[in-house]
Amino acid sequence: MGEKEDAESTVGGAIRIGVYVCHCGLNIAGSVDCEEVAKFAATLPYVVLAKDNRYTCSDQGQELIKSDIREHKLNRVVVASCSPRLHEPTFRKACEEAGLNKYLFEMANIREQCSWVHLHDRKAATEKAKDLVKMAVAKAALLQPAEEIEVPIIRKALVIGGGVAGIQAALDLADTGYKVYLVEKEPSIGGRMAQIDKTFPTMDCSICILAPKMSDVGHHPNIELLTNSEIVYVKGYIGNFHVKVMKKPRYVTDDCTACGECAKVCPVIAPNEFDIGLAIRHAVYTPFAQAVPSTYTIDLNLCLNKENIILCDKCIKACEAQAINFEMKPETVELGVGTIIVATGADVFDPSSLPNYGYGKYLNVITSLEFERLINAGGPSGGHLIRPSDLQIPKRVAFIQCVGSRSEKSGRLYCSNVCCMNTIKDSLLIKEHWPETEIYVFYIDIRAYGKGFEDLYQRAKKEGVIFIRGLPAEIIEDRKTRNLWLTGENTLQKELYKENVDMVILSIGLEPRKDSEIIQRLLTLSRTQDGFFMEAHPKLRPVDAATGGIFFAGCAEGPKDIKDSVTQASAATARAGILMAKGKVIVEAITPIFDPEKCKACGLCIKVCPYNAITLNEELKRIEIIEAACGGCGTCAAECPFGALTQNHFTDKQILAQIDAITEHDAEKKIVAFCCNWCAYAGADFAGVSRMQYPPNVRIIRTMCSGRIAPKFVERAFARGAAAVLVAGCHPGDCHYINANYHTQKRVERLWKKMKQHGLNRERLQLLWASAAEGERFASKIREMQAITDKVAPEEIETAKKAFEKALGEV
Amino acid sequence: MPVRIWRTPLDIEKVKRPKAEIHIIKDQCKGCGFCIQFCPKDVLEESEEINERGVHPPRVVDESRCVLCGFCTSICPDFAIFVVEKQCKKEC
Repeated sequence: MGEKEDAESTVGGAIRIGVYVCHCGLNIAGSVDCEEVAKFAATLPYVVLAKDNRYTCSDQGQELIKSDIREHKLNRVVVASCSPRLHEPTFRKACEEAGLNKYLFEMANIREQCSWVHLHDRKAATEKAKDLVKMAVAKAALLQPAEEIEVPIIRKALVIGGGVAGIQAALDLADTGYKVYLVEKEPSIGGRMAQIDKTFPTMDCSICILAPKMSDVGHHPNIELLTNSEIVYVKGYIGNFHVKVMKKPRYVTDDCTACGECAKVCPVIAPNEFDIGLAIRHAVYTPFAQAVPSTYTIDLNLCLNKENIILCDKCIKACEAQAINFEMKPETVELGVGTIIVATGADVFDPSSLPNYGYGKYLNVITSLEFERLINAGGPSGGHLIRPSDLQIPKRVAFIQCVGSRSEKSGRLYCSNVCCMNTIKDSLLIKEHWPETEIYVFYIDIRAYGKGFEDLYQRAKKEGVIFIRGLPAEIIEDRKTRNLWLTGENTLQKELYKENVDMVILSIGLEPRKDSEIIQRLLTLSRTQDGFFMEAHPKLRPVDAATGGIFFAGCAEGPKDIKDSVTQASAATARAGILMAKGKVIVEAITPIFDPEKCKACGLCIKVCPYNAITLNEELKRIEIIEAACGGCGTCAAECPFGALTQNHFTDKQILAQIDAITEHDAEKKIVAFCCNWCAYAGADFAGVSRMQYPPNVRIIRTMCSGRIAPKFVERAFARGAAAVLVAGCHPGDCHYINANYHTQKRVERLWKKMKQHGLNRERLQLLWASAAEGERFASKIREMQAITDKVAPEEIETAKKAFEKALGEV
Repeated sequence: MPVRIWRTPLDIEKVKRPKAEIHIIKDQCKGCGFCIQFCPKDVLEESEEINERGVHPPRVVDESRCVLCGFCTSICPDFAIFVVEKQCKKEC
């Protein structure tokens, strides 16, 4: 027992454990005999004192622990009470105050995972509580003190994306006093908001409220604006990111006065992306009048000149400021930043993929984004809503909602949040200019959920906009007039409709940026099934990425309107600001422990690490761990075939000791469960809080991630005669450690194969994905497994013991 | 912005595009082919006829494609090609 000796030596003497069994009023004592549990605890190895008290978390309870540590020279403390997710920090603090390293504290969860879920079986609950205390004591004996490392944070921030969210985030951070790099892919900042005419529900002019902010960004002394630029490289970790930005050449220098003489003489014309092709631009151009920076750009894909060959020099000649320079080359800028805000925004849905609406074929079917450009006074039609076929003002207009939202056909199941209100706003804009226009809105549901939204909806109704529930099944064009026939079912009146209109506006949804994948890979982020970036916690950490030091703002995280984007940007700024104001971050000491002698430099750990925190040192032929980048999932430790890696505070030996404690008596009746801290363990806690009853034969071992669960743990449990094993983690895609639970699945599948080879019933090993909210899912799984454990014959237990005999050698 | 662009711009008619008038002095050409090779809009090609100097002078494929960049004029070693803007009264 080398580790035990180590442990003894680190505390300078014999291991002395104090156990405190909490009554929690009647919450625990109501169904568990706490006195008996304490008496039992006193008989366990290394336990020098065991007490039961009413409320261990109270000031008196904590004082008792502190004085015992001093008086009885305790060097390990076990509290059997509620979930460690609730009071572990409380007791750790008490230990620290008494001079005991906080990593020498362990908890047994006898409330959420015992007394509350076995309310009517006092005997079994008491027996289970004893087991849980035994497991905690067995682990406690092996605990090691640990020091948390402090990592300095660079007081500079990177904002990716120059839409309204990125602009707000950059301004807030810069005003706080931090240096900000704002990187934008396009030649100008402004994003989608710059394209929109008016904003709902106030009907403010979009560019009028945005342009001052854009100009502030351009002039702010703390903001370095990098337009026409893309992130190409990100390495590092919270507080210390090393970023490379590729700055594409503009071929126009900062001397440009934006007089526009160059564009006047440029012989090349092409559709303008900003106006979705409704207007032209030249090869030398500025995307829109209010662009920031106002410097023109030359699109070398269109320009007659090629690299190193100047064929046409008209712009050069026209430019009085001599700002045109075809010699410019792409440039890589290297940045060091402490925090990153991802504000990459969203794309719009391309309705050409829905042939029944005829977009791309019928000239008078337009998208809501095209509508914005048409109704905008600065747009190609000077603010006149004209239909593309004959440039006449339409008299009958139809809006179709949920195009690319809430539909299986388009593959986008989510609501895009903005389209209902956008349509209502658009219909009012039409009514404002041309009150006689007949407007039909075809919808599934109108979602006017925000402040002032319902008023606007009612106003639209009052103005005579006709809302019809039921989307058209098809649009057919009248070839002569280019008018459009809409057919479908009015689901409120249960009758078919056939409407003839002059123009149709498809209210298109928002979708994840096509290049989200690049950002995802560079920053090791995760995305939801819909493809938007996933936050660390949907309720309590809604702007944090799971990766430390990275935050979200705007549509990158999910479709949202301008107000929400700005709100989120300011929230992200505050979160980033907290880190940078502190100037340092503490990394929990649950990072890997590495034994260089056992390492064969096979690189398996490097492959499974979700944070790129392990690198291979080619020279020394071994791995190196960047502790600050480590998320603490322990997947590397589970993957290492040579035992060179284990995880601090969740060492192999500690977990094996817990398994051994469970299986010491009556193993053939028990379920050994491994649960990840964030989802499955929290789900089991939730089952307790909700008093969902399930069989008492399950014993839960907590790991930070299901990725920590090495196959040898499962094998050990079977080798020790356990009836069944449960491996439980977050749903795929929801992993707290990006994607570590995919490895869990692979490992369990391998174990199933192995069990089959040995003629074992694979049902004895179960894999469960359960979120923190799915208490019932967890409880019903245990009920289901009870049926399995009841059926397991003694011979089967023996076969498993033999099959996994080898695992007993692991100590 | 990856939005599909497929419409004809509404203001395409409003943009005055200068119309070119290409003049080739055939017999001055020595057939180097620079004008054909470097024309960014591929307005010229080699003709089949043979001039006084015994070479194939260039021929205009499509005059409307010319954007009057004037590169052919500057690159021609024999001053054999030049482009002027067409002076049209109304439409041409």
